[in-house]
Amino acid sequence: MKKILSILGIAASMAAYAQGTLVINNYTIYDYRGEVIAHNLFAPCYPRVVNNTPIIVPANSNTGTGTQLQYDNFRDQYTSSLYPMAAWSVATSPNSTTIRPWDHPALVPGGTFSNNTRWGMSKFGMVYAGTNNNVVGFNADIAIAGNPCYTYSDFFTTPSGANSAEMFTITSGSNVTTYLQLY
Amino acid sequence: MKKLFLSAAFAALALVSCNNEGSAVNTVETMKTPQMENFDKAFKSLGDPQNRPTEEERKRNTSELSDRRKALLVPASKELILSTGVTEAELTRKTGGDMSQIIVWATQIYMQKSDEIRKNIKSDK
Repeated sequence: MKKILSILGIAASMAAYAQGTLVINNYTIYDYRGEVIAHNLFAPCYPRVVNNTPIIVPANSNTGTGTQLQYDNFRDQYTSSLYPMAAWSVATSPNSTTIRPWDHPALVPGGTFSNNTRWGMSKFGMVYAGTNNNVVGFNADIAIAGNPCYTYSDFFTTPSGANSAEMFTITSGSNVTTYLQLY
Repeated sequence: MKKLFLSAAFAALALVSCNNEGSAVNTVETMKTPQMENFDKAFKSLGDPQNRPTEEERKRNTSELSDRRKALLVPASKELILSTGVTEAELTRKTGGDMSQIIVWATQIYMQKSDEIRKNIKSDK
């Protein structure tokens, strides 16, 4: 029963709404470097939209410092975000990937890709601020819980326990915000 | 002697001017209201060891932040909403006490205030 309900819940949120807002809060002293994937939450999990160039959210960039990454949607992020993404890599099947500019008609709010994807996972590695040097043990693939396409954990902690990362949503009615938090 | 005096005066002036420069650097971080500050702290505190997701919470099949952890964000969210002049009664009427609605409302206020601060900083320059 619980399963059916949650499937219904996912279906309802899918049908009604687009990918929602993505916020990356980096509270650490390291730079976040990685990619974020918005995809269809039903098998075969396409379309899938990924940033075309790596996203870098510098150390201590979060809502507290007014420097969080915030993507309201695939299009408006280009003009409103501090981390503008000029093009997205869009896959419609395993064999078909195309680079689409931020203002492509299918990426705008209400467009096919926008309507059929949700922010689902991130693959990242932390580097020492301003360098290319990896922080050993602080890299992961994480995905929102209950994601049928990427079954990674939604919570990650470094071996020492000093740092962690997680992905979750806060939903109110039609308003879905997906948070990727790095502590 | 006179030269020494002059150079000392000059050095002092230079120091003062550098000091002023430092204090003129305004950022969203330094210009936040106390209510915004607390809202931030609450969000950041989700990463504190005692606030991390429990084993039980990690077994859930939903991406939604758990009620236990949402509750950590609610007091600061309410404070931020009330700081805009909204009354306690209005807050209850509009949200029905729903934690998500309270947090989302506070987030909108926060982002708006943060944007305003950023614009003010820009126009100061």
